[in-house]
Amino acid sequence: MADLRGGATVRLSELAIGRAARLHAVVLEPGEACLLSAMGLVTGSRLVVRVAGDPCIVEVRSTRIGLARSVADRLQVVAEAVRGEP
Amino acid sequence: MSVLSPAPRAAALAAPKRVLLVGNPNTGKTTLFNRLCGLRAKTANFPGTTTDLRQGRMQVGRPGGASATLEIVDLPGLYSLELDLPESRVAAQAFAGADGVAPPAAVVVLDATNLNRHLMLVGELVARRVPFVVALNMIDLARRRGLTFDLGRLARALGAPVVPVAARSGEGVAALIAALADIVSGAAPPGVAEMPRATDEPLEQWAERIVVASVGGARAVGAETDTMLDRLDETFTHPIVGLVIFHAVMALLFWTIFALATVPMDLIETIFADLGGILEARLPGGAVRDLLVGGLIGGVSGTIVFLPQICLLFFLITLLEDTGYLARAAFVMDRLLYRFGLPGYAFVPLLSSHACAIPGILSTRLIPDRHDRFATILVAPFMSCSARLPVYVLLTSFLFPASPALAGLAFTGCYLLGAVAAMGSALLARRTILPGKSRPMVLELPSYKWPSLRVAFANALEQGWAFLTTVGTVILALSFVMWWLSAYPKAAPPAAAVALAAQAQELAPSDPQAAASLVEESDRLALRHQQEESFAGRLGRAVEPAFAPLGYDWRLSIGVLTSFAAREVFVSTLAVLVGAPEDGDEAGVLERIQSATRDDGTPMFTTATALSLLVFFVLAMQCMSTLVTVRRETRQWRWPLLQFAWMSGLAWCGAFLAYHGLHALGIS
Repeated sequence: MADLRGGATVRLSELAIGRAARLHAVVLEPGEACLLSAMGLVTGSRLVVRVAGDPCIVEVRSTRIGLARSVADRLQVVAEAVRGEP
Repeated sequence: MSVLSPAPRAAALAAPKRVLLVGNPNTGKTTLFNRLCGLRAKTANFPGTTTDLRQGRMQVGRPGGASATLEIVDLPGLYSLELDLPESRVAAQAFAGADGVAPPAAVVVLDATNLNRHLMLVGELVARRVPFVVALNMIDLARRRGLTFDLGRLARALGAPVVPVAARSGEGVAALIAALADIVSGAAPPGVAEMPRATDEPLEQWAERIVVASVGGARAVGAETDTMLDRLDETFTHPIVGLVIFHAVMALLFWTIFALATVPMDLIETIFADLGGILEARLPGGAVRDLLVGGLIGGVSGTIVFLPQICLLFFLITLLEDTGYLARAAFVMDRLLYRFGLPGYAFVPLLSSHACAIPGILSTRLIPDRHDRFATILVAPFMSCSARLPVYVLLTSFLFPASPALAGLAFTGCYLLGAVAAMGSALLARRTILPGKSRPMVLELPSYKWPSLRVAFANALEQGWAFLTTVGTVILALSFVMWWLSAYPKAAPPAAAVALAAQAQELAPSDPQAAASLVEESDRLALRHQQEESFAGRLGRAVEPAFAPLGYDWRLSIGVLTSFAAREVFVSTLAVLVGAPEDGDEAGVLERIQSATRDDGTPMFTTATALSLLVFFVLAMQCMSTLVTVRRETRQWRWPLLQFAWMSGLAWCGAFLAYHGLHALGIS
């Protein structure tokens, strides 16, 4: 499961609903990766998980992006700490 | 604001100037296009590319100034001009003036609620030095969310006029047109943008800088937690609930189409039957009258009768798409299609193919992966298109004349059989000729909104018109050919018919009723003889051996053969072959077809024959226009030829199994 304190690198598909994270690395073919980046999912961008599962729906700025599970599996993110946690 | 500028040059502008309408997906670009060009848009092959783009014309001009005609080209929604994606390549070609006509200007449509990301496309245009006007769309929504814009500051930073618009309500469109007129006429020379460098990262920072400087309340956007939206998304994409909703929506969609389309379809048939009657009564008998009534009226009505369904399907699909639901449904279908080697992106093309495979195949252009796209193109014609409907209606009513419920079930079975054949064929193709897994879905989910009737109406009209001009002409030509093939060479009436006619003449004074029935019988014999001796009859006999194992006689064989050009001619061909009654009454035609007999006197349609034909029509590739479209889209003949051979082979085998299976069960 995702580390609730944040900081560790996990797969996007492991994050629970409502968790915010920063995109750390993209393990995808160049064609798929460039589409993601054009949609605003670039390394370092902040995203919030809106719906977990398949598809995984994330919000980047004010855009909602649906990702098939196999894509969400290959996005490495650094989760932000949950409010109230150190 | 730069909308207020000096009067334009008074030079009259002759040739229309091309203006490209460009923007990210879901920015309301098409709504704006319809606002600018009205309903006069056409989808046409864009010179220099192989893609059909929507084009429309509009007049721009200001009081006292010169007016100009602009050709507005609606580019597909895209995120960047520099991606290796079909839509990006098309747009880049258009901006480069691939056909020798460089666009003098562009209109960039931005979503005011999501400026950061959308500005990146603007940055690319600045780098290409294309003069442009920025349409800051959805301004009403942005205001409601508490965003404020320093338009002057934004315009200076982008080096272009910025016009706030709300395309759905029409707000700001007049100002946008005025700004566009200034740019095109050269009255408002483009400013100098605060330029970014051309790689991704700085472009993002550049966009961020501009937004920070010119947009107020930006922090509010994206920070709001919209639980309602989350719930809807979760429900619609849920593995089980989502699938149930999807099926309910599709059932409602098709039910609406069938329920609503019958009214205009009946009307069209009545009008053409009346028209045929009038022509028949007014014109002197002979080849010209036969050609007009049998060939032209029959052909035109046989084409136009499909229009209501096609227009309705596209109207409803556009409405659904506009609500934002279809993007969620695509993920539901992605899970299913993925197992058969098709991408979720294939969902809308396959759905459209239920109206007509041609627009379905054209819409596969936005499928990013080539193998994914070709697999979709290959199987799209398996989807039961509206041209198969008359055949389904005819044959299911023959199969279950006493039970409309069973006929309806058989009808649904046809759709299912087509879809199953499509999935199986896709799976086979991905294991053999198009190896690989389909690309997983990544899709922007637009926000939910009330659909625009205007956009749906425009799209329905456009698709209907495209159908008429491409497919309609083929059907019309074939109707003529079929009429000619069955009417010539003229054969002398057979001895039996002559004898009956003579007998009738003798009887006429004493028993006019009996005489009339004798004349009718004589005419029927003469007509049948004419068919047998006609080119069509000879052709039918020549191909009969190929179809005999499926239970078809020469008439059915010729019906099947002619429907290889376009399947919708099957019913009209049979109507011609069994001899339609003079008044062209529709119910009469169907009854005559059903009660038609073979040369040996046995019924032409048995249960086994009807089922075998039904299976054949579900599976066979019987549409020349689709094959031509596939050739154009794949740029190779091998794909349409493969498709033709595979589908028709499968159809033959399926029909053979159905026919002999029923016989084995003791049903004939």
